[in-house]
Amino acid sequence: MRSMHFKREKLARMAPDSSALHLTNDAPRPAAGRGRILDVHGLRVGFGGPAIVDGVDLAMEPGELLCLVGESGSGKSLTALSVMRLLPPGARLTADRFAFDGQDLASASEEAMNRLRGDRIAMVFQEPMTSLNPVMSVGDQMTEILEAHRGLGRKEAREVALAMLRRVKIPDPEARLDAYPHQLSGGMRQRVMIAMALICRPALLIADEPTTALDVTIQSQILHLLDELRAELGAAVLFITHNLALVAEIADRIAVMYAGRIVESGSRADLFADPQHPYTLSLLAALPREEDVGRPLTAIDGQPPAAGQMPTGCRFAPRCPFAVEKCRAAYPPLAELAPGHAVACWRAPLERNVA
Amino acid sequence: MTAPLLEVRGLNKIYRSGGGFLRAPREAQVVKDVGFTVGRGEVFGLVGESGSGKTTIGRMLLRLTEADSGEILFDGQDVRALGPAALRGFRRRAQMIFQDPFASLDPRVRVGDAIAAPIRLHGLRPAGSVKDRVVELLEMVGLSAAHADRHPHAFSGGQRQRVAIARALAVEPELIVCDEPVSALDLSVQAQVVNLLADLSARLGVAYVFISHDMAVVRHLASHVGVLYAGRLVETGPAAAVLGAPRHPYTRMLLAASPRPHAAGRRERAEATGEPPSPYGREPGCRFASRCPHAVAACRAAEPPLDAFADGARFAACIRAAELGPETAPAPEGAPSPAFQTRMALLRAARAEGRAASPDAPA
Repeated sequence: MRSMHFKREKLARMAPDSSALHLTNDAPRPAAGRGRILDVHGLRVGFGGPAIVDGVDLAMEPGELLCLVGESGSGKSLTALSVMRLLPPGARLTADRFAFDGQDLASASEEAMNRLRGDRIAMVFQEPMTSLNPVMSVGDQMTEILEAHRGLGRKEAREVALAMLRRVKIPDPEARLDAYPHQLSGGMRQRVMIAMALICRPALLIADEPTTALDVTIQSQILHLLDELRAELGAAVLFITHNLALVAEIADRIAVMYAGRIVESGSRADLFADPQHPYTLSLLAALPREEDVGRPLTAIDGQPPAAGQMPTGCRFAPRCPFAVEKCRAAYPPLAELAPGHAVACWRAPLERNVA
Repeated sequence: MTAPLLEVRGLNKIYRSGGGFLRAPREAQVVKDVGFTVGRGEVFGLVGESGSGKTTIGRMLLRLTEADSGEILFDGQDVRALGPAALRGFRRRAQMIFQDPFASLDPRVRVGDAIAAPIRLHGLRPAGSVKDRVVELLEMVGLSAAHADRHPHAFSGGQRQRVAIARALAVEPELIVCDEPVSALDLSVQAQVVNLLADLSARLGVAYVFISHDMAVVRHLASHVGVLYAGRLVETGPAAAVLGAPRHPYTRMLLAASPRPHAAGRRERAEATGEPPSPYGREPGCRFASRCPHAVAACRAAEPPLDAFADGARFAACIRAAELGPETAPAPEGAPSPAFQTRMALLRAARAEGRAASPDAPA
């Protein structure tokens, strides 16, 4: 504990950037360096054996909301944790390019990462109860961040924390500042998590299934809030989810992941009006819709491949009704069919290639 | 006219906590005055958010949790009055499937033995033919004889849920209470299990009480639905009517908040507000009043009864339901794009063809 405090003090001295802490200043913080806030190319993460995340490309503009959609085991959470460099012990990360705001994350020291985390890159997890400290008041957890990253005094930090709680629309914020996590409802806890994540005005917020544990009426409030705050604070959001319907509500751009790779990426309109990859199509077909009542859903046969048993060619080929020899022989590259709309499928566009 | 398969009237459940020698325990009424009817072979969807009492109701139906008051009539027989022997007989006719199949299957018991246990217990097959029946059940849910010798850990989530379904079917029940059976499954697997449940109900004539928070899945499977809010049914009726043209403001909020896949862009929607009330020490009046955009003073005075509408098939517990009128169906998302339709047709055709070519593939 003592060494942690020491570290925090040191960090506070090292990062005295107080210009960005005043939440009254509503102008979005300009992203240093033009263009992409996140630029990932050929990201690979594995645990000694075959790579679990196997060649992922992600590019994000400042302020944009990118949804990374995938089923459990697709590697989406591992991708998110890679950006935070919070991988489990034993994980090996390699990448051709892995830059946040022009800074190489793959080679960044642990100290440099500590400066970034919670400050310029922040994260919200699915279950706030496991990421909030149960024996620390909400206020203390929030001010701790400001003390560490901004070197603020307690009183000043408390005021900023209070302003942030107001901003995430927590009723009676003064009282909540002294509340403990267990005294809050699930929705309120997630609001606290968001307040903590945004308190240093990060340029990138990673939200890993932030509403999955919540009821739909609470989920819709949290999504609304996230959208409002990202516009206000100018943060880019990497939103990880398995819920395809949800993606339609919030995404600027979408990347669909399957078995460790991105199979299709594009704007929301691209993915929902012009879906190309058979996996994307299959997911859309599997969603129960009003017009499907009374007939079977179009299910995807089989299951995703296990990590140790990846097919050599396209990983979706064993479950794909359009698969041909070529698909089983070689993995298709993620290629642009139209500007901004990329798909990793030998047979796309299907209407031309499937007779 | 025979009695409906299941008839529930005035069901109540109060949990008491704390309290001591001189202090009265705190009371939380988690289910209040719930009633509904399920016909033979019918799927009744019970929708609601966490804490609405849907799981407690499901458990009370099978007497896994005892109700405080109310009637549960199964085939005309009062379930709450059954003695131990009669209860065993009842549980042969009514089964349950849970959300997490890993938690409901013993990790040390081979799947084949888990399915055989209820067959032996109820003496449904002569000892020599139990094995054949197990294989038959495994095949019925899209698994094969080879799966019988494996332990639950060797199965994926979707397969485990198939095993749980096979075990529930082993006693040839007339009713299965399904508590969020597909909520923990990935979308691609969820569709398989939804299809399986629909298929089994149609083929075997088994009725479901299908508990879920997912409106789209309930709409797909259920013929009738009941919408629960804070322990009380606020709206019931045919699924198409209730979920297509909701009358109760809570049903409307729930539907508006449910995300739908579409390319049209962000919906400008009336934002859902507030959170459900605490089950302790309820305020008088309608329990949704604090979140309701239409609430008036009268709503806070007395709890509104679950009233029938003109056609008699629908009920809503809202004094303003008639005045507010049915909500027009949620704004259409626009016709799917030609590219979407073309490729979807290709996909359906290809899947159908694939299945025809290899009939052994699990549906």
